[in-house]
Amino acid sequence: MVINKNLKSRNQKIKLTPADIVFNIFNYLFFAIFTLSCIFPFYYIFINTISDNELVTKGAITLIPKGLTISNYIQMGKVNDLWSSVGITFIRTILGTALMVFASALAGYLVTKKEMWHRKFWYRFLVITMYFNAGLIPWYLNMAMLGLTNTFAAYIIPGIVSPYNIILVKTYIESIPAEIEESAYIDGASYWKIFYKIIWPLSLPILATIAIFGAVGHWNSFQDSLILNANTPELYTLQHRLYIYLNQSSNLSALVQPGASASDSATIAGQMNTKIIQYTISMVTIIPILCVYPFMQRYFVKGLMLGAVKG
Amino acid sequence: MASDIMSLSDKEIKARNKQRLSAPKTTGEKAADVLYWILRIGVIANVVMLFFPSFNPIRVSENVNKNMSLFSCALSHESMLNTFKATLRRQEWLEPAFQSLSTIGVFIIIATIIAIAGGCMSLGNTKLKKFGLLFSFTGGIIELIAVLQINPIVQNLANQSDAVGKFEDMKLFFPPVITAFIILSIAYIVISVVNFVLLPKINKLEGFEMEPQYQLFLMMLPFIALAFVFSYLPLYGWRYAFFEYKSGETLTMDKFVGFKWFTQLFQNAATKRDIVTVLKNTLAMSGLGIVTSWIPMAFAIFLSEVKNTHFRQIVQTFTTIPNFISWVLVYAIALAIFSTDGFINTMLTSITGEPFTTNYLMNSDHMWLKMLAWGLWKGVGWSAIIYIASISGIDQGLYEAATVDGAGRFARMWYITVPELIPTFCVLLLMSIANILSNGMDQYLVFSNAVNRESIQVLDLYVYNLGIGNGLIPLSTVIGMVKSVVSVVLLFAANGVSKAVRGESIV
Repeated sequence: MVINKNLKSRNQKIKLTPADIVFNIFNYLFFAIFTLSCIFPFYYIFINTISDNELVTKGAITLIPKGLTISNYIQMGKVNDLWSSVGITFIRTILGTALMVFASALAGYLVTKKEMWHRKFWYRFLVITMYFNAGLIPWYLNMAMLGLTNTFAAYIIPGIVSPYNIILVKTYIESIPAEIEESAYIDGASYWKIFYKIIWPLSLPILATIAIFGAVGHWNSFQDSLILNANTPELYTLQHRLYIYLNQSSNLSALVQPGASASDSATIAGQMNTKIIQYTISMVTIIPILCVYPFMQRYFVKGLMLGAVKG
Repeated sequence: MASDIMSLSDKEIKARNKQRLSAPKTTGEKAADVLYWILRIGVIANVVMLFFPSFNPIRVSENVNKNMSLFSCALSHESMLNTFKATLRRQEWLEPAFQSLSTIGVFIIIATIIAIAGGCMSLGNTKLKKFGLLFSFTGGIIELIAVLQINPIVQNLANQSDAVGKFEDMKLFFPPVITAFIILSIAYIVISVVNFVLLPKINKLEGFEMEPQYQLFLMMLPFIALAFVFSYLPLYGWRYAFFEYKSGETLTMDKFVGFKWFTQLFQNAATKRDIVTVLKNTLAMSGLGIVTSWIPMAFAIFLSEVKNTHFRQIVQTFTTIPNFISWVLVYAIALAIFSTDGFINTMLTSITGEPFTTNYLMNSDHMWLKMLAWGLWKGVGWSAIIYIASISGIDQGLYEAATVDGAGRFARMWYITVPELIPTFCVLLLMSIANILSNGMDQYLVFSNAVNRESIQVLDLYVYNLGIGNGLIPLSTVIGMVKSVVSVVLLFAANGVSKAVRGESIV
């Protein structure tokens, strides 16, 4: 990272005094502890899911895993509705993000076109929606009126138009030299053609940024499932499912699929207590985020900096 | 011609667009233009009617759920029948009738889509306009035929239910909105025929064309429609604040109660007490957030004092992770660490040998501080990134000059880094002041339990519990309304302050 290079060249010129050493020790210590507090919980949950269940129940697993096993993850397959939630969340993440990115790209391009009929008005019409909010209940009633409660579409359609992302794309497209587009226009290319042949490929960096953030948002979404689809358990998102399991302190048999035999339920109930089930689902929920996280990092600063120059 | 559009300024473009519009037109064309506006408004009205339950022409029985629009009725006839009594549902003539009603709905939707296409084409050149008239005409015909089918079906239902003595139970009625649909579809037909005559002859050499301004507008239209439906339309729900309403009912004027719910907010003792507690929580937690908003900046400054690049990168990488997990997962972590059989207790037990079983999540002490701590844990690494980026942009010469002048580490931090970061800090601070009433509900919802309910409930969560949990829709709408208005006022105030002090707006 460029940031780090700059910092390095500055820091190398500093001569150490005793005060500096004390300062450094505390500084390093603080950051080490804070960083540890950010990763240890994930590690703790993880080692508990891969350790022997009896030891976990006894509370013997604190720092190192013992009696390695992956049976918990296999047993999860028998837990009621978990995989349908995983599927729903995956599909909504992919579909929702794809549509949002496409819409932001196209709308972001269109609002840069001065010749559009009342462009300024329509642009403000979109942007102003960031700053007001009718409130939770009117929003819910509106969705109910549109017939979007208890449907999968409720996850996708409302998120397609995202004014903030449209602004990001617009700002980015404005930085692309206008000559490229002009020459295509002279050659007789239509707006569509210019969009998908020129604008789309050139704005891929910003589209990747909003895609990443959009995908994380979809994966983590919880409210829409909780409020709109409360009566359709087969549409619950993974976060909603996890929330339910976290609040379900006992009654393990309720978690096991109705189709599973009594002995199956008994085995699962015998082998996995609520705590282990909660831990395992938490891991299932977080692993995809941790997997894409390394790829996301390079977009952080870009996304933030672009957000700072909006409007 | 093509290229110069690009290089023109906004004003010139506007002038050009006007000029084009004011190109000499015959009287017939002018009349056609007026008719086209009627047609377009008609199409928009038609689309709106598809989604509003009160404009549903195929809801022919009071037994059908009052909240079903034409669109949802057309999607499945079963959902229309859901609310029918079992004795009626067993009649074999009921289902086919509602199936055909659903089919009528589908045809009305198809007709509307065709009419939309016609309306869009009316923005093109004469050839495209004439082609579009074909669509408007077809749409009108299909819609008219479909709507006219409703009456015979209702008659049929009446006869059949009368024959088995269930006429009263059916609660059939003739939706008055059918007339509106008939008028609309006739208008489509008439306007398209009249305009076909009024429009001049097509130049044979002409292709289908549309002016760029309308092309772009039509490409934009779907997004405008979506923004309208999901951001502006909810404002229509504010009307619930003035009615007596329970979930599932319909609004009628006799349930109008004026400002009853607004006054209840200030007069009903129980509500007032709730509101005071909730506001106290909200302001306290937001206030704590604002008071500690310098922490990410400090985090960034101190992190930039770390010399080891690898260490710094590791810190940055891992402290941002919590920002990307949901509050539900944060709660899962809280459970894993702080619950009865969580990490803290198992650790203490294994060290001391005595059983520790405190559930740290099940008490309401210092709730505000705990929530603040979780918020910081989740957000500080991420919020610091913008400051870290700013620090890397600071001119290195400043630091060198200061070092030469004898400034120590802290002097450099305080007199160079901090002032450079203050503008960013101010913007974020103003934004958080504008958002003082909206702390979101996810965090507080997941952490709330029977014990800490009183001290954790913030405004957003209170609205959720009241409206969705207890079904007190009007009252929670009122609270949401007041909150929205106050938030917008605060935002403008913050923006005004920013403009006055820094000469820059934040929105």
